[in-house]
Amino acid sequence: MMATYLEFIQQNEERDGVRFSWNLWPSSRLEATRMVVPLACLLTPLKDRPDLPPVQYEPVFCSRPTCKAVLNPLCQVDYQAKLWACNFCFQRNQFPPSYAGISEVNQPAELMPQFSTIEYVVQRGPRSPLIFLYVVDTCLEEDDLQALKESLQMSLSLLPLEALVGLITFGRMVQVHELSCEGISKSYVFRGTKDLTAKQIQDMLGLSKPAMPMQQTRPAQPQEHPFVSSRFLQPIHKIDMTLTDLLGELQRDPWPVTQGKRPLRSTGVALSIAVGLLEGTFPNTGARIMLFTGGPPTQGPGLVVGDELKVPIRSWHDIEKDNARFMKKATKHYEMLANRAATNGHCIDIYACALDQTGLLEMKCCTNLTGGHMVMGDSFNTSLFKQTFQRIFSKDFNGDFRMAFGATLEVKTSRELKVSGAIGPCVSLNMKGPCVSENELGVGGTSQWKICGLDPTSTLGIYFEVVNQHNAPVPQGSRGAIQFVTQYQHSSTLKRIRVTTIARNWADVQSQLQLIEAAFDQEAAAVLMARLGVFRAESEEGPDVLRWLDRQLIRLCQKFGQYNKEDPTSFRLSDAFSLYPQFMFHLRRSPFLQVFNNSPDESSYYRHHFARQDLTQSLIMIQPILYSYSFHGPPEPVLLDSSSILADRILLMDTFFQIVIYLGETIAQWQKAGYQDMPEYENFKHLLQAPLDDAQEILQARFPMPRYVHTEHGGSQARFLLSKVNPSQTHNNLYAWGQETGAPILTDDVSLQVFMDHLKKLAVSSAC
Amino acid sequence: MAELYVKPGNKERGWNDPPQFSYGLQTQTGGPKRTPLTKRVAAPQDGSPRVAASETSGPPPMGPPPPSSNAPRLLPVGSSPAHSVEPMGFPAFESEALIEDVLRPLEQALEDCRGHTRKQVCDDIGRRLALLQEQWTGGKLSTPVKKRMALLVQELSSHQWDAADDIHRSLMVDHVTEVSQWMVGVKRLIAEKRSMSSKKETNEEKSEAAVENRTIPSFQEAL
Repeated sequence: MMATYLEFIQQNEERDGVRFSWNLWPSSRLEATRMVVPLACLLTPLKDRPDLPPVQYEPVFCSRPTCKAVLNPLCQVDYQAKLWACNFCFQRNQFPPSYAGISEVNQPAELMPQFSTIEYVVQRGPRSPLIFLYVVDTCLEEDDLQALKESLQMSLSLLPLEALVGLITFGRMVQVHELSCEGISKSYVFRGTKDLTAKQIQDMLGLSKPAMPMQQTRPAQPQEHPFVSSRFLQPIHKIDMTLTDLLGELQRDPWPVTQGKRPLRSTGVALSIAVGLLEGTFPNTGARIMLFTGGPPTQGPGLVVGDELKVPIRSWHDIEKDNARFMKKATKHYEMLANRAATNGHCIDIYACALDQTGLLEMKCCTNLTGGHMVMGDSFNTSLFKQTFQRIFSKDFNGDFRMAFGATLEVKTSRELKVSGAIGPCVSLNMKGPCVSENELGVGGTSQWKICGLDPTSTLGIYFEVVNQHNAPVPQGSRGAIQFVTQYQHSSTLKRIRVTTIARNWADVQSQLQLIEAAFDQEAAAVLMARLGVFRAESEEGPDVLRWLDRQLIRLCQKFGQYNKEDPTSFRLSDAFSLYPQFMFHLRRSPFLQVFNNSPDESSYYRHHFARQDLTQSLIMIQPILYSYSFHGPPEPVLLDSSSILADRILLMDTFFQIVIYLGETIAQWQKAGYQDMPEYENFKHLLQAPLDDAQEILQARFPMPRYVHTEHGGSQARFLLSKVNPSQTHNNLYAWGQETGAPILTDDVSLQVFMDHLKKLAVSSAC
Repeated sequence: MAELYVKPGNKERGWNDPPQFSYGLQTQTGGPKRTPLTKRVAAPQDGSPRVAASETSGPPPMGPPPPSSNAPRLLPVGSSPAHSVEPMGFPAFESEALIEDVLRPLEQALEDCRGHTRKQVCDDIGRRLALLQEQWTGGKLSTPVKKRMALLVQELSSHQWDAADDIHRSLMVDHVTEVSQWMVGVKRLIAEKRSMSSKKETNEEKSEAAVENRTIPSFQEAL
């Protein structure tokens, strides 16, 4: 049974990009709430499907105005009468004339079960070019600025040819560069201290004339009067030489920075102008505002810290003690900008490279609400930044750019279900309707969301509520259904519509609990609960979130564990649940919920990536992967535990943000002695190389690029491994089991063993 | 065609900066994965710490590792380490590429464009080609850059626009410091030649069709 469900889960994920917490659905509202883990799914709307060519026609919609579901394999069809019945609202619909030739043996793709996920290409409609607006901080050190300039020049060769590009630079002042091939570079200069409304910005840039959408780009005719709106945003194929030179000539911000002071950086106004410029010229078309910054905003609206170096930027302790005087106001400023950008379908990226914090905490909604990227590095002159930045422009197997824009996701449910909300890089479109639950989880109160920037790995957590009443049982063998419709601008600028329609069986909890248990997806459940926890952590106190998480785990164990009352040693969990407590243990210790080991910016960075990655990567973040390499056989996964650290093993740990290779003591000694260079010990050379090659495979593909730690027993960098593994042997209980195995960890963290013992005690106790 | 290599990251500026992969390595579409590292091990339910197979008590003995003949095969099938692969050389380019071999075709291409492209653009491209020459003869360009430019020019002369474009991209990614000032001129040259060539093709098609229409009646007449 177990193996079949794992296969079922995997097949569904591969085909539909969906992972549900429960694959057999509890048929009553009351029972569903007692399941502890809500009915929810992780959805990757644009999952890579190399085997699914898009169809070149438009979807057929249900004609009921309050429904408008898309024709799908669950619909009943009368091929004689050329009618189809919507499976969500039961409306009978006439097929359009183009479907006159369909029959049982000549089905359109969208009716076939293997096309539960299908993508349509919309050929008609205006095609707007993609837009890239660079917003560049010039308060950088010389070599950092030089490296950034080169990366930006390089990116001009990577951009789609028809794309429009623009440049805003800032420091103490904000400069909007007019891009002209005539060789005379003009710019408009704004003071960095003054907040401006959208209208003021548009007036001052001369954009007050109504903006006309750019038609298909044609070679510029000499007599052609250029549209007013395109002075600041020009096609790459026209402007690349001019812009290359302009970038090459950028200087550091000329305003002198005296001793003990920070440079005056007007990030708030720069972003405001960028948002306003795009708002006035290209609303409702795919665009990226790309902010490159080397330090915190120190002037004007959105200021995060003052210019006195002796006043440090806020830490978590400051925030806890309500001692972060600029935080609320700054956050509000960037939230306002983020919401405006999202309304216009534009996304905001932040590339922050500095040794100290840059204000990611205050600016995070810019990326999180719009689906923009957040990249954090030490310097623009690092491989981490350069390659991460290059990967923004990566292409898929068809040679198309992976980035996509302006997505709207709509969720439809059969009547026994409603949508409670979504957690991910999205904003609500406030679409009310029969599918919308009053009980909100995440971004709720809607059945439609907007994701302005996304790619094939972008993943949302979507939470549902079973509304069927206990006394209205569902018929035996019946299924609930959900449809996800994602409309978006593909990088080719054509609009596409991806439709995924899924169904799962209802089950009665009283009589079919074991079947429901077997269909539990502990990996999906862990990530979905984790997203809920991290979402809460943004507005609630840390300890409260941990207590909530613990409470849910105890309740889950009470319901689904096998045990004798008051006997902790009897406690067992079936295979379907066996990894779940471990996931929760590691989640509690993770940087997503334990903030005091990190700066507020780092926490924001980790949480940003956690809220959008797919299941596999999210799990890696919750519970890092640990593989052991030895002479005893092929590489094998080992417990994330100090007992896995052995002298004759090499460990590879992947936390998503770091790849750590750790040489055990003996391995390190052998390497020092140079055995890898001796021909008779060639297998030792292979052993040393194997984890390096595996690490390289990860490093070559992952976005953002992880840090790379190569260390050994006793090395100072070994702390990255030691802090992650469960401290099952601390200096307190070193000899508890008699024999010394593995490496002791010096910490007072509670170990997985202690955690599990405590959990079992609470689960079996009748007092809870 | 591009080089495949890995360089170490910039440890001075970024702690634990990851290695830098060349454009060629980054754009490789993935083959079969070596070892998908996604599995986990469940903690034992009965609570005892996992005892590892090869446990050693006390400090590890400093004997040598097991020699090659005794050790079991541990490399996954089909793997090949890609670490620090030397740049792929082509036999024809063993000797250093010559500046004339590169610059002459580029200048010729520019001349071809003069009738079709705006004067200002042509002048701009010309300026950048002059800069390329200056840097080349001044010894400022590295061997890999020269090699790849020679390849690019070959592709351009054979009308392989996509291949030439890809080489230009690989040079911008891998050697931006050396090439950024003038490479955008080469990029534009490729684009202009490409658009000229497609215009020429459509014109040729049109005139071919016209010629055919004229010959058919006369052929029939001959009958």
